[in-house]
Amino acid sequence: MIQSDALITDVGTSGPFVRVTLAAPAIAPGLAAGRFVLADLGDYLRAPLFPARIEAEEFDVLISPLHAAVALQPGANVDLIGPLGRGFEIPTATDRLLLVASTAHLPVLLPLTHQKPASAASGGVEAPSLRERPGFSIALLLSAPTAAELYPIRLLPPAVEVTIVTTDGSAGHRGSILDLFPDLVRWADCACIADDPATYPALAEIVREVRAGSGRRFVQALVVPPMACGVGACQGCAVSVVRGTKLACTDGPVFDLLELR
Amino acid sequence: MTIDLAPNHKAGLVLANPVMPAAGCFGLGAEYARLVEVEALGALVVGPLTAHPRRGAESPRLVPTPGGVLLHTGLANPGLSAILHRYARVWARSPVPVIVHVAGTAPDEVASCCQRLSGLETIAGLELGLPDTADPDEATAIIQAAHASASQPLIVRLPLVWADALCQAAVEAGADALTVAAPPRGTAWYAPGNHFITGRLYGPFVLPLALRALRRVAALVSIPLIGCGGIHTVEDARAFLHAGAVAVQVDGAIWRDPACLAHVARTLQVK
Repeated sequence: MIQSDALITDVGTSGPFVRVTLAAPAIAPGLAAGRFVLADLGDYLRAPLFPARIEAEEFDVLISPLHAAVALQPGANVDLIGPLGRGFEIPTATDRLLLVASTAHLPVLLPLTHQKPASAASGGVEAPSLRERPGFSIALLLSAPTAAELYPIRLLPPAVEVTIVTTDGSAGHRGSILDLFPDLVRWADCACIADDPATYPALAEIVREVRAGSGRRFVQALVVPPMACGVGACQGCAVSVVRGTKLACTDGPVFDLLELR
Repeated sequence: MTIDLAPNHKAGLVLANPVMPAAGCFGLGAEYARLVEVEALGALVVGPLTAHPRRGAESPRLVPTPGGVLLHTGLANPGLSAILHRYARVWARSPVPVIVHVAGTAPDEVASCCQRLSGLETIAGLELGLPDTADPDEATAIIQAAHASASQPLIVRLPLVWADALCQAAVEAGADALTVAAPPRGTAWYAPGNHFITGRLYGPFVLPLALRALRRVAALVSIPLIGCGGIHTVEDARAFLHAGAVAVQVDGAIWRDPACLAHVARTLQVK
């Protein structure tokens, strides 16, 4: 973890998002899906930025056009603290990875579409990505209010099998992710969720029903309350869990779904 | 040249620099180890801690406010025994004196904490926080409990709104130095939960309030004063020193810019 300037090298669009590329050679290698940086964008609280694409010396973030970071232009510097937090942890033995996201939260999960096995990622050993491994498959349950607000499927890796849900039925299944989640979570041997935490109790109930006895962290979920320090010093980003309270910045922001209260 | 925060105490509390972090902003001493040049500081102020574990407030604890933030932790901490087990070695390795902030919840709990901390050579001083609602009698009872139990110098952190009303009682009860002041409390409406949250306020807007409190206290007592509240720049820190403080504590600015702590310290290095 360091505090360092990152250089904005490119700004573009990616579906409904603004894509900002940050050159941060000292920070990027430590990033992973669900890990984050705190960026000084001028407000009193730094803004958490989650990588959507990670390379050796740079990373992309995909942000809403309303996000404060859209003011960043190529050539500008932004002060970052990172990498921070505990991200999604995909067991090396995973064969069927389920991703669940609303379009607004999808960018956090995008690095998982080319996630490396945990043992290789930490040991520096070059290994094929999980999705290149024979027998490995990724399913994405993606939701949006309408078809117009969906993240374009063509921008996702072809190997990702996408199931779409829209509230109004203008694309894919009409309804909510809760309708299709039971079958998909039965199929999966690891699931990662980035959605409105208000949906988590219902998703947890489904997991308890259809995958009772599943191991710890079988389903992992992202929770991002407001944060001040990012290092566990201020105690501000509390998340209620079954056995007390944890901090999103150091214990999370990715938690076992069944641990959340 | 050094600064002694407790010239009348047998051990003294000598700092090589007037700048330190404020309690509640720096964790327990390890959290910022990779982001802050600790050796540039005058001391570390860690905590708050209580005798027993406290789960703290429910989420959300943090509400952004215009120009700052409101934070209500409910004194979340794992309790004195767990903290000593995990952090005593961290404090022993600190290149600068460690001051432990004890939450002044009640006289008996404060006495219990201070007795456990008393005599620990890794702890150079204790800072005692007072309840924001304490009247002079309550404050006196808490401070006397700490003073009677602790072997180290005792700093008392005064509530901002009662700083001038409590400062003389604090000195008479045994304070070696005073921190002026604890962050003020405010209330924010938390719309998603449809309820109010009351907590401490951090941000540059606190500085004029704390500076006023410090000047009033400086006119009433003659023990060393530590200025605290809304310091974000070197000039902010200098304002407190001009107002009568011998040292300063940096609070919420650490979260925004951890590097500012060492920057302020190096700029104000005692020649």
